Amino acid sequence: MASSAAASNPTIPSLNLPPSQFARLQPHAYLLAHLSPPAASDQPSVRANGRATSQFRVTSANAGSLTHTNGSAVVRIGDTAAVCGVRAELLHTEDIASWSVSTASEAEAGNTSQKGGSKTEDEEDRDHVQDLNLLVPNISLSTGCAPGFTPGAPPSTLAQSLSHEILSLLHTTRLVKADDLRIWYQPPNLESEEFRNAGEGMDVDSEQTGGPEPEIKAFWVLYIDIMIISLAGNPFDAAWASVLAALRDTKLPKAWWDADNETVLCSDNISDAQKLSLRGLPVSSSFCTFEADAAAGWRSVVIPNADELKSQAQKQGSQQRWILADPDGYEEGLSQERVCVVVDIEDGKTVIVKMEKHGGWAVDSDDLRQLVDVSAKRWHEMKRILDQC
Amino acid sequence: MADRRRVNGPPGGTRPPVFASLQESTTGAAQRAQRQRQPAELRKIFLKTGLIPTASGSSYLEFEPSASLAAARSNPKSLIPPSSALKVACTVHGPKPLPRSAAFSPNLVLTTHVKYAPFAARKRRGHIRDASERDLGVHLETALRGAIIAERWPKSGLDITLTIIEAEDDRWWGDAPDSHDASWGMMNVLAGCITAASAAIADAHIDCLDLVSGGVAALVSDDSSKSASSVPRLMLDVDPAEHRSILSACVVAYMPARDEITEIWLKGDSSKAALEKGDVRSSHEALIDGAVDAARGANTVLSEAVTESIARSIAQA
Amino acid sequence: MPDKLITEPVSKLPDFFGEQNRCLCNKELYHFFNPFSLYCNMASLPQIAIPGQRLGPLSKYSAGPGTHVQDSFIHASIAGPVVTDAAQPKIQPKPTLRVSRVISAQDLQPQNAGASDGAKFKPRYNTLPAVESNVLARVTRVQKRQATVSILVVLDESEHLTSSQTASDNDNVASILTSAANPENHSGTDELRFQALIRKEDVRAVEKDRVVMDEMFRVGDIVRGSVISLGDQSFYYITTARNDLGVVMARSEAGNMMFPISWKEMRDPVTGTGEPRKVARPF
Repeated sequence: MASSAAASNPTIPSLNLPPSQFARLQPHAYLLAHLSPPAASDQPSVRANGRATSQFRVTSANAGSLTHTNGSAVVRIGDTAAVCGVRAELLHTEDIASWSVSTASEAEAGNTSQKGGSKTEDEEDRDHVQDLNLLVPNISLSTGCAPGFTPGAPPSTLAQSLSHEILSLLHTTRLVKADDLRIWYQPPNLESEEFRNAGEGMDVDSEQTGGPEPEIKAFWVLYIDIMIISLAGNPFDAAWASVLAALRDTKLPKAWWDADNETVLCSDNISDAQKLSLRGLPVSSSFCTFEADAAAGWRSVVIPNADELKSQAQKQGSQQRWILADPDGYEEGLSQERVCVVVDIEDGKTVIVKMEKHGGWAVDSDDLRQLVDVSAKRWHEMKRILDQC
Repeated sequence: MADRRRVNGPPGGTRPPVFASLQESTTGAAQRAQRQRQPAELRKIFLKTGLIPTASGSSYLEFEPSASLAAARSNPKSLIPPSSALKVACTVHGPKPLPRSAAFSPNLVLTTHVKYAPFAARKRRGHIRDASERDLGVHLETALRGAIIAERWPKSGLDITLTIIEAEDDRWWGDAPDSHDASWGMMNVLAGCITAASAAIADAHIDCLDLVSGGVAALVSDDSSKSASSVPRLMLDVDPAEHRSILSACVVAYMPARDEITEIWLKGDSSKAALEKGDVRSSHEALIDGAVDAARGANTVLSEAVTESIARSIAQA
Repeated sequence: MPDKLITEPVSKLPDFFGEQNRCLCNKELYHFFNPFSLYCNMASLPQIAIPGQRLGPLSKYSAGPGTHVQDSFIHASIAGPVVTDAAQPKIQPKPTLRVSRVISAQDLQPQNAGASDGAKFKPRYNTLPAVESNVLARVTRVQKRQATVSILVVLDESEHLTSSQTASDNDNVASILTSAANPENHSGTDELRFQALIRKEDVRAVEKDRVVMDEMFRVGDIVRGSVISLGDQSFYYITTARNDLGVVMARSEAGNMMFPISWKEMRDPVTGTGEPRKVARPF
């Protein structure tokens, strides 16, 4: 089989190798032979894994199967599997060093917003969720998920960058509402009433508020831990989908400030617990480009400018590159350029939440537009999967 | 100092939620779960190999949730789970070259890593391996080393990694740790790890003398009255959340075809077991025998899983 | 044809925590357990063995790869199909029992038809490179006195008999496709592969003193070699001093795949320039 693929390409010596060895020895040529079959043969262009270029792997999701979490999910995209567990813990405002300072300024801000509406709810959300680090995502690849990640070692560069990408996506999408995480306390009105009964002195105050302001006593902090159990390419999509599914599954217990004990107490009754109300459903889709120039990977190491020259030449020449959706590990190893598009669909309108592209010049604006369409299609598929789980 | 390689939470730290007085609660969480199984009846095990194709061998193992947990899952009332059931994923990478710094070895060099997921237990776990995880790794390594034919694989290494996705409880969550308390859940975890690792090693086609499996037996005392007459009973595969107190527990790694034990770990005071009349064994012997019986049970699942994976690949061929 | 290399993506795996199919039912788990129930009765051999399973007496068979001996019985040491290789009148009076590491159609025959072939080769107890095993390796470093290579594939010695047979059990296309060709992580690919040296005197059989390593190999070449020694803790030693050994795949300076034109030269089909190599005889 490999020999016939080789025969179609005169530059490859006609060694009789089984496909597995050919795949290992000449990965680039192997993938290329699949993507550009000889014109004479009636073969369609498919990837080595049998998928069409814009086809994602079979995806499944399952939520709420872990006992010790507030929300959990397992998402599997092909052979990449991520387990995400959300654990909620409490951050008392008295433990926040800068709290008294910031509340003072916020009280002012609150006043202005009541008057002029200068500060939106969104901004407040960002203040709390982001500044107080209420969302703590961490991804672990040291699970033996793939050879080369030493178990027990500190997070690799890839793990660190994935954690931060998830954190920044959580922040930019404002997925979790800060209000879900706040634990309010309405101090009893005793004092002011006493004062009022006593007579004049406090007239001004009580007139304005009719009682003490409710105050925030604590926040929920969500520890979002993602274990990549099996890594076969495209960890980000799997990790993000697992975060999304786990957050959709997350229930926070009803919590209140107990003034007698000066602490926050929770109810263990599940009917009191509240689900998180998430903003939208941002779905991430990753792509990589595979370039036909057989020497691309090889040359870019040797000649620093070769990549540039090559991609210029390619723009003029025929289309000799493929944009592969949801790349597996093999394809990721053969491509330089990555694109990640995160879209949400609100009222039938596609909203691009994030678009990231790095490592090459091959993808142009037309391609990006197409990728957004592909991502929008993927959104519907993922929504169906997440709704079912 | 904060770990810069991870996303850190609030610098002041956070507190786990505290639940309000449970006596008033109507959720039933305040009641200790009861063991529904016979003393010698084991929990069922789900075991499947070859789930992680990037590894040379892999397996996934789950213990059947105990009756109380199963009930809590199907009809959730309280946010506090009554008990916990082991879930562990195992990968085997190799045989691969030893690191350049390592000395020459004529045998296969085993490396075992056991890591709990941060959400595996009631208390949030750290990201860095702690002493108990290292301890588990060492016990696991000795258990497996006795089963592997290491001289068949000269100058190469085998990395075995176990990720505990859900651990077992050390005691019922409502109990305060008392004098003869130990991390009993860890013993169940070790037994599960041994069975899972053995399946993954078989999946990786590494030569072994036998399929080695893990089993746990314990002396439990469920008598609420602390009278001297209450005698502890021997039970197999205990879920610590279901018992008032565990006096002693034993985990073994056992190879049934050879009737050999490769690892034995006995904790606690095993002197008070009530054995049947005419039983001349000392109580720790009875405990070990019980653990071996449990390991035999696990071995039937293990053989079935390995046979099934071979049958599957033959069907594909 | 390319699309037939893999018919299905890769094995579809069960949900990790699917509630259905959750527990393997082991009904007679404890009470009726009998360690030998799974194991064969002594008269006939099982088709599939699992580690520890008793296969046959040493008086009747000799132990092959994938088995070990305990109490004068042959036991399986890996899981796989049981294969009986017929006795060889002079070398091996008893039939050899082995458990196959590779699941191939040939091994699934109850009696191995190609039994005589099995004896031609040394029995292989593992998939590691061994003395006299042929390997395919990528050149990673060329120095004055030696070239460093990283072993990609250990060729099965019976490979030319059954060309579809893969070299090792981990060598199926599906598993290669899941893992990265160049993993983007801290430890390089080469740390995961066995390393080997081709010393200057092992490059070719003739004109050994006129060997210039630069004219024999370049970094990135794929070389077919034969292991001559297990070497030290970090390197195997391999030789290319045979006509069928040497460079099998190479790219020119221009980056094009070259074809062999003589035992010491390959040519770039695009630019037409030749480059010196220690070329393996093409098949």
